[in-house]
Amino acid sequence: MAFAIQFVIDVLSLGGAYALMALGLVIIYGILRLVNFAYGELIMVAGYTMFLTSGSGLPWIIMAVLAVVMAIVFGIITDYAAFRPVRAKSVTAVLITSFAFSNLLQNAALLFISPRPRNVPLPEIFSETVSIGGAITPVRNLITIAASIVLLAAVAFLMRKTTLGIAMRAAATNFTMARMLGVPANLIISSAFALSGFLAGVVGILWIGRIGTVVPGVGMEPLLIAFIATVIGGMRSLPGAVVGGFLLALIDTTLNYSLSQDLLKFRDAFTFSLVIVILLWRPEGLIKGPASGQRT
Amino acid sequence: MLDVSDLSVSYGTIRAVRGISFTLGKGELVSLLGANGAGKSSTLKCIAGALKASGGSITLGGKDITSASPEQVVRAGLATVPETRDVFPDLTVAENLMLGAYIHRRDQAGNRQNLERLHTLFPRLAERSHQPAGTLSGGEQQMLVIARALMSRPTVLLLDEPSLGLAPAIVERIFEMIETLKKSGLTILLVEQNVNQALAVADRAYVMRLGTVVTSGTPDEIRATSDLSAHYLGG
Amino acid sequence: MKHAYLTALILIAVILIIGVGSQLLGIRLYDRIATNLLISLVLVVGLQTFMGNSGLLSFAHIGFMGLGAYTSAVLTIPAQMKGMALPDLYDFMKVVEVSPLVAMLAAGILAAVVAAVVAYPLMRLSDAASVITSFALLVVLYTIMNNWSAFTNGPRTLFGLPKTTDMPIAAIVAAIVVVVALLFKESRTGKLLRASREDEVAAAALGANIPHLRWRAFILAAFIAGIGGALWGHFITSFAPKAFYLKETFLIVTMLVIGGANTVTGAVAGTVLITIAYEGLRSTEGAINATSFGAGQVIGLTEIVLALAMIAVMILKPGGLFPNREIGHIITRARRKKETTA
Repeated sequence: MAFAIQFVIDVLSLGGAYALMALGLVIIYGILRLVNFAYGELIMVAGYTMFLTSGSGLPWIIMAVLAVVMAIVFGIITDYAAFRPVRAKSVTAVLITSFAFSNLLQNAALLFISPRPRNVPLPEIFSETVSIGGAITPVRNLITIAASIVLLAAVAFLMRKTTLGIAMRAAATNFTMARMLGVPANLIISSAFALSGFLAGVVGILWIGRIGTVVPGVGMEPLLIAFIATVIGGMRSLPGAVVGGFLLALIDTTLNYSLSQDLLKFRDAFTFSLVIVILLWRPEGLIKGPASGQRT
Repeated sequence: MLDVSDLSVSYGTIRAVRGISFTLGKGELVSLLGANGAGKSSTLKCIAGALKASGGSITLGGKDITSASPEQVVRAGLATVPETRDVFPDLTVAENLMLGAYIHRRDQAGNRQNLERLHTLFPRLAERSHQPAGTLSGGEQQMLVIARALMSRPTVLLLDEPSLGLAPAIVERIFEMIETLKKSGLTILLVEQNVNQALAVADRAYVMRLGTVVTSGTPDEIRATSDLSAHYLGG
Repeated sequence: MKHAYLTALILIAVILIIGVGSQLLGIRLYDRIATNLLISLVLVVGLQTFMGNSGLLSFAHIGFMGLGAYTSAVLTIPAQMKGMALPDLYDFMKVVEVSPLVAMLAAGILAAVVAAVVAYPLMRLSDAASVITSFALLVVLYTIMNNWSAFTNGPRTLFGLPKTTDMPIAAIVAAIVVVVALLFKESRTGKLLRASREDEVAAAALGANIPHLRWRAFILAAFIAGIGGALWGHFITSFAPKAFYLKETFLIVTMLVIGGANTVTGAVAGTVLITIAYEGLRSTEGAINATSFGAGQVIGLTEIVLALAMIAVMILKPGGLFPNREIGHIITRARRKKETTA
């Protein structure tokens, strides 16, 4: 019983984080049909903001809010630096600029901060554990579950009930038509980047909260996770991204408990081979997204 | 109301529209006729801001909109119904209509009023309000796209092939509705391949061929032009 | 067609000048830089054969380089050293020891075979799906290199490769690769592929089986990457899997994109330019680090400048320095123009 509870909590907390990561990536992809390789660096930005404000004596929650705000700001900067100037040119051009921008941010952290891990302030509660039905579990897992439920609900509300959200969904299926109704392209794209940054910021705090330190390459793993989850979940469907996140967490957790140490090392090779197979079978991802669409 | 003068549109080296001119007076219904590939849809897309003009000018109510973006064009009072019947399939009928009123999103009372008027014009849309637009029939989708365009309260409406691929009975209804809209004082530019229907409702018409206007005049004058069918059959 | 010969001639001359020039200077540092440049040239031109002709971005190239490097290592590390260098190596492999030239060819062939098997189904994907799969492929190859300790010594550094690559060898291989890339570009496969890049539908109408054409280009690119990996392995003599990951990928993609992915001239120009910029920036970093005692190490500056350059090129000149014409073509045209005006 304790094992079952442990397993469920593991899957849900990991899945919640994965789902948020995937959502942040798919929001951009859904609207622009472009992959943001600099997405992981938004998580890094959130981490370093926490590190840089740690000496300020501010309450933790203010630091966390600042971290999220900085991730949003850098999300919007990504749009202006890497996407907007080349968006109309070619898909390859944008992939290259976002790849270059990702490198730029990582190396800026390397140059101006340090290649070595930096401690991120965490409230006491992140390192405490509780016992639920005999399973000892870190409180931060429960926080992750709670935070992801709240955020997923908030994103669902935004996308379903607000004009901006509905306009973003419309732009994701048919950008030109949305513009012909007066929906401003740039507002939609900037909002998508801001939302992507917001999700990256929150997930950044939760993710970095697991390890307690931040390094320039910290965004790599979340980016890869988001890739896999979105490919599983359908690259243009927001609910799909969430489902993909939880499925991946289920796969990962199961492999963690069942594979031997020798094979576990190859886990990434397994999951990425899975990604390749899924894309071959369904280039748009496992769960089908909105019908048609084009880029501008 | 709408003045197009010497407009050209190119795709790379191919010139789809070669210096055409026409005007729409206030409250007029003008038809743009011609075979496939004559340049009608390119002209419309260019007016709507979805394509860049390579020459000439477009003015709407005295305002130059030649190089305006699609969102600026709709704000200037011109709504477009594209031939591809682009409903947002995952959004409900109500959400589609709500987006039509995007530029008036601060005026909820006005939108409600407008929506009620459109619901009496298109009762089917009221019934299906909460259904995803992708589940509607072709005719209903066409109604939805027209209603959605009207939610922006335009002064000029561009209709691109509204009868394309629809059953005759539905085409009948669409044209009835176009007449109703005309009576309400809306200025309409109608692109059609269905010549007889289009001429029946139009005040004036222009016939395009290979990117230029070859004939223009009242429906009677156009019908009198002997080579009209040649423009359609001979492309 | 005549200008293709001229292009080959000019590019080989560039390689010669780099080689001879570095020897004339007689500074060992320049010898090292020139050799590095020529090896990069092999990799970048290899990537060009796929990216330039198909128009698809591939992140997996460096993975095949790694494959080549490890293959050659396993085949050439002297038998008596293998026990130390690769303690977990399978017994039957322990006795194998072949000449570096044979090993290099084997490295290319193995990379090509792996590419042929893995990539066949991938080549029908376009746009984002193709980029993500190539990225996924890089991660898979990296994970395998990092963990298949028997062959790679795991994430630890593998050492003991005989140092057989020197400047002249690198120059010869680079010259051959340039010629191969130009030949491939002018071959029927290359021409059809380039046509498909402009217009998939029209090329398909000409009877081109696009995925199959891409597949051929991908195999060739992997073969060259494998050769390049072996060449590099025998130059550096010790390396770890992390040498074949994102940082290297970024560097060669930068070289190709800034030079112009569509032309072999662009690949060569980009490699030369970025290598000079890279070495210049590195020595600047070094100089700063040497003067500022304890003020912390300056690292990452080089990559920042390169990233900015890359973004600037994509904005201002998205096709790179040589976007569509090879150098030979440019010169013949210029001469013809002069003749007509004179």
